[in-house]
Amino acid sequence: MGETRQSPNWVLSSLMLAATAAWLTLDAVSVAPNRIVPGTPYAALEVVGGWPALLMAVPMLAVVVLAWRPNRKGLTLSLGVVMALLALLPLWLAAATAVLVTPDMPQARVGIGSALWLLLFLLLLVLIELRTRLGMSRALGWLLLVPMLLGWWLALSLWLEPLALLREYHARSDQFASAVQQHLALVGAAVGASLVVASLLVLAMRRHTGVRRVGFGVLNFLQTIPSLALFGLLLAPLAWLGARVDWLAALGVSGIGWAPAFLALLGYSLLPMVRNIFVALEEVDPAVIESARGMGMARRQVFLQVRLPLALPVVLEGVRITTVQAIGLTAVAALIGAGGLGTFIFQGLGQAAMDMVLLGALPIIGLALVADALIGALSERLRPGGAA
Amino acid sequence: MIELFDVTKRFGDETAVDGISLRVEKGELCALVGTSGCGKSTTLRMINRLIEHDGGEIHLDGQPVRSFDEVALRRRIGYVIQSTGLFPHWTVARNIGLVPRLLKWPKGKVRDRVEELMQLLGLPVAEFADKYPRQLSGGQAQRVGVARALAADPDILLMDEPFGALDPITRATLQDELRVLQARLHKTVVFVTHDMDEALALADRLVVMHQGRIVQQGSPVELLREPANPFVESLLGGMDRGLKEAALIQVSEHMLPLGPRLLASERIPYGASLSQALSVMLWHRVDRLTVVDEEDIPIGELSLRRLLGAKVP
Repeated sequence: MGETRQSPNWVLSSLMLAATAAWLTLDAVSVAPNRIVPGTPYAALEVVGGWPALLMAVPMLAVVVLAWRPNRKGLTLSLGVVMALLALLPLWLAAATAVLVTPDMPQARVGIGSALWLLLFLLLLVLIELRTRLGMSRALGWLLLVPMLLGWWLALSLWLEPLALLREYHARSDQFASAVQQHLALVGAAVGASLVVASLLVLAMRRHTGVRRVGFGVLNFLQTIPSLALFGLLLAPLAWLGARVDWLAALGVSGIGWAPAFLALLGYSLLPMVRNIFVALEEVDPAVIESARGMGMARRQVFLQVRLPLALPVVLEGVRITTVQAIGLTAVAALIGAGGLGTFIFQGLGQAAMDMVLLGALPIIGLALVADALIGALSERLRPGGAA
Repeated sequence: MIELFDVTKRFGDETAVDGISLRVEKGELCALVGTSGCGKSTTLRMINRLIEHDGGEIHLDGQPVRSFDEVALRRRIGYVIQSTGLFPHWTVARNIGLVPRLLKWPKGKVRDRVEELMQLLGLPVAEFADKYPRQLSGGQAQRVGVARALAADPDILLMDEPFGALDPITRATLQDELRVLQARLHKTVVFVTHDMDEALALADRLVVMHQGRIVQQGSPVELLREPANPFVESLLGGMDRGLKEAALIQVSEHMLPLGPRLLASERIPYGASLSQALSVMLWHRVDRLTVVDEEDIPIGELSLRRLLGAKVP
């Protein structure tokens, strides 16, 4: 009774309708004979007579219908449909590539059009909605992505050689690997250093109210400086230091490069880190602290055995926010020669090569999502009395 | 034995505790009662030095508390608070074993003691040892709190509104359990509460506080019979005082042996209080009750006349 009387799931149906509309009307792929010439766009319906595209639209509309009276069975069926669609998408792209790129175009480049991006994006949103409705755990949610990833892996390694993104990658795969490495090194160093500095700062803040006021003031101010301006501000003093102090110069400290990037990232990371650690430690239930003291725990014991472990999940939340923020900010660091994935973005912008921009941007998004998920899962595990 | 001599505590300009002198004998349960902000909690927390007193002296067994290391002092005093203060990231067993572990007891001894206490407090070991505090009901959590306070077998127990956050039924159950426990363990207990019925039911001695001072102290009956001023009288329930006093007396103390007359139709267990007996009489509009034992066998009778003549021994 309760299940049949469910009201329509508007989120699901509107997302799916939008996805279908985008898929059937917008440009799905573009084909250019080489890197210079702009590509010819094709809608999904223009590829191989359009029947594969229509065939894919049918189950999408089925999900819209199922969303009208959502019950567990219908939602599970929808989930299967969406996962299948996500896995089919790269295969469709491979098929389209095979048809559209003729052997007389050895330099041809296939670009992914707005229809495909939108479909991918909307289907992922639908997946999240379904996961929530079906009450699946986070870990299970990640497993739902496996068919899609397998599909892309298969298509990319076998059939999608003309894909512009892949061509850009193959043209500079060494550079790509080292860019990812630089990116991660910068983020890791900045987040690690800010964790250490922030912890020390918070300890001082907890002891002296004066430090607390000044500390938060300075950090808030730092956060308001635009990132490019901060790089600019650091340029002069670091160049000066690099020129005067030999061992700093030997480390590679100069007005541009990793040093200002690291310092700026550190500066930006400090506020969220300090705020989270501070709040985490302060907000531990006072009754718990009171009873810890009343039981005869010494100050150190109260801190190490009670306050710190109870604060840890919130501290990790700070690390998560800071890491995601730093992964994004590091892109800008490419402008001052610190390397990283931002290099591709700015080079691509300079050459008006959108696929090269994507080569930088997509991995940054991927890294941010993975970092977010991993640290989030860790903090979940550390919740007090977590193993229910 | 706990003694307070002219103890004072100020927070800034405000005097929270104003020259209190008090003596809690060994094995006595002393209830500090009063409205919120009267200084009763502050007084309690000065005993284990969670708050340091400004003036006067506090002695444990004749020694000033200041002469002890504060951490060592607290480890020999049990402490129970209203919100239990259980560590949410520790299991029940680990929570209870806290003080013995702080005192560096050997592992096996800690484990045995924890199990002993869980049994004492009616918490089956197999079911509760590995639970986390958030999986417990309010009453269970407070039992764990009491077990934790008793873990290292302290002579002194400080309880700060321990049952204040519980529903009335659970509260009554835990009060009964505490009474039974105290009859067995004879700890020196200082018990803070704003619930006068709780204080009357549990305390050997009542200390009424108001605005940082002791207004009156004595046994529950003494206070009921001769409240020092209108404040104490209203705290004790004003016109309800008669019932409250009757609640302190058991039916068995005043019943008469079964006489030649017919048994009265309404019955009352011999462990009930006189106020309950009165209530039964009122309800059934009778002036005589048959007193029965646990097996519902008549062992005596109680008349209204007898009840009215009852005095606290």
